[in-house]
Amino acid sequence: MSKVVEISPTTRHEGHSKLVLKVNDAGIIETGNWCSITPVRGVEKLAVGKTPEQVPKIASRVCGICPIAHTIAATEAMEASIKCEIPKDALMLRHILQLANRLHSIALHDILILPDLYLPGTEVKINPFTAEEPVRTVAKRIQRLREIGQTIGQISGGECIHPSNTRVGGMYRNCSEQAKTKMYDLAKEGLVLAKAQMDLMIAILRNYQARESVDVGGMKVPLPKTLGYHNQGYLATHAFYGSSSLDECPSWDINRFKEVRPWDWYMGEMEISLEEPKYPIGGTTKLGTKVNPQMEACTGIPMYDGQPVEVGPRARLVTYKNFDEKGTVGQNIAREMEYPDCLYEMMDCIDLLNPNGKVVADFIPDGDGSLGWASNEAPRGTDVHITRVKDWKVQYFSMLVPTTWNFATCSAALTGAPWQLAEVIMRGYDPCVSCATHMIVLDEDNKLVAQKLIQ
Amino acid sequence: MLYSEIVIVGCGNPLFGDDGFGPAVIEEMKNFKLPDNVTIQDGGAGAPHYIFNFLNPDVTKKLIVVDIADFNSKPGSISKISGKNLKPGAYIDPHSWDGVDQLCRIKDQIDTIVVLCQPAKVIKKGDAEVEIGLSDDVKNAIPKAIKVILEMIGVDYGTTIKCLQEERQRGTAKSCGSTETS
Repeated sequence: MSKVVEISPTTRHEGHSKLVLKVNDAGIIETGNWCSITPVRGVEKLAVGKTPEQVPKIASRVCGICPIAHTIAATEAMEASIKCEIPKDALMLRHILQLANRLHSIALHDILILPDLYLPGTEVKINPFTAEEPVRTVAKRIQRLREIGQTIGQISGGECIHPSNTRVGGMYRNCSEQAKTKMYDLAKEGLVLAKAQMDLMIAILRNYQARESVDVGGMKVPLPKTLGYHNQGYLATHAFYGSSSLDECPSWDINRFKEVRPWDWYMGEMEISLEEPKYPIGGTTKLGTKVNPQMEACTGIPMYDGQPVEVGPRARLVTYKNFDEKGTVGQNIAREMEYPDCLYEMMDCIDLLNPNGKVVADFIPDGDGSLGWASNEAPRGTDVHITRVKDWKVQYFSMLVPTTWNFATCSAALTGAPWQLAEVIMRGYDPCVSCATHMIVLDEDNKLVAQKLIQ
Repeated sequence: MLYSEIVIVGCGNPLFGDDGFGPAVIEEMKNFKLPDNVTIQDGGAGAPHYIFNFLNPDVTKKLIVVDIADFNSKPGSISKISGKNLKPGAYIDPHSWDGVDQLCRIKDQIDTIVVLCQPAKVIKKGDAEVEIGLSDDVKNAIPKAIKVILEMIGVDYGTTIKCLQEERQRGTAKSCGSTETS
């Protein structure tokens, strides 16, 4: 007979979410629901009536991890709506900023997943904060990679957290020749470190994959070879950067996208019938607690061609590099493989950057109310911002962020895994839940049917 | 090198009303000409893992964090607390990673001071109400906070600051709205 277990809150990712799992007698997940419980921000309503310069700044504040992706996506959505093409050197600076953000993010994710993994050849799980070798050296390398990403982001974007150099129509200022050289030197240093880090992480992940069982809170849990497999599709709009409705051949089609209500997709009210106090951190939800994922979920379910899809590093590698490894380990390996790619591309962009080139468009239209969108291949996947700008006022704004795409896909990927490994599967998506939390839902005719605002 | 000898970080999220105080102070300080050994940074909601995490005690000797906190005072009052008095929180995820927890890791190596402003409305973790813009009391506290910060880093910024100092010397700690916990 099926039992219901809940892991709430989930840990080692950004934002607040939970896992509600219906499991069989052997503890294998029959149906898994991963849902956001971060309160809805209502940023999209707030944007209406603001100027196109204000909205990217508002969008960048929805979370503390992804400001760069949201700034670029929102700015480019504004430019798409007003039909403003930016100079080549401004685009190069944005590319560099984007890649610096990705470099930092991959390194940060290493810290988040390492405690699930084992030092190869031992039964010791990795604590990235330990002062003991060899982990200390690895942690220092991760920190240096993050620092390199942050520094390059600061040079190209003006500030390393909320980039102040990006503006509608381009960038406020180009960088100097010396700054260009510094970015290149940092990227070269980063490349050596990134290759070493990628090799190490892949070895650690392969070691994990080869295990028969793993330890979770003192419980010996069998490790299935199909951990995290799903049969949903993939969505990526560019290997590194993104696309917009201004492109000659856009790689995302708004007509193939639809967002549905979570109550059509998630399980209804249930009572917790399995409790495990040994589960880290602090045990699972207590027996008898009522849960209702349908009503508690704070996101819509976006679909592309009628199905939830996976976005992120694996989706990019599948779409642009013929990567074909499925499951959680494959997903984490894809992310590691983006390390050197990201730095090679960054060096190419720095090469192409002319520090004397102009970075602001000659003419920035006020907008005629046309629908414009921009997708940005954020570290966690496709981040699409959609807007209408008329007479320099935003009439409509929507954010369709990576983790929103991944909620339903990851939920499908939970099926067949031991419930104790549900968080390991979830962490493979490197979730950023705060960004994902919004709710604007369309019906079959693509009409707005619900906006769940502040709870 | 990302950071210099003195680092000033404004923490908070402008989407949550008075929580935007830290970034607003930094925005205002961008109009000042500060010495080369001072870095000012809008930390937003990401300071713990994007900034505090990267400070090198060999380089950075003083860290000033600007934020809001409820210390049961009049809205807009400014207080400061030494890093030595901070107690660690708990690490759960990078977003709710308590900044205080991170500060506790570095406070013994870097002279850390937190400059705090009493908000008009107390914001608790998990609150969802989105509201852009500072309350009048908190907006008016920006010059006071900047004055306190400039004093801490030894920058004399001319007549305005001097006037404020004189006002204070005339017996009005209240007029400055400044209290200190050390």
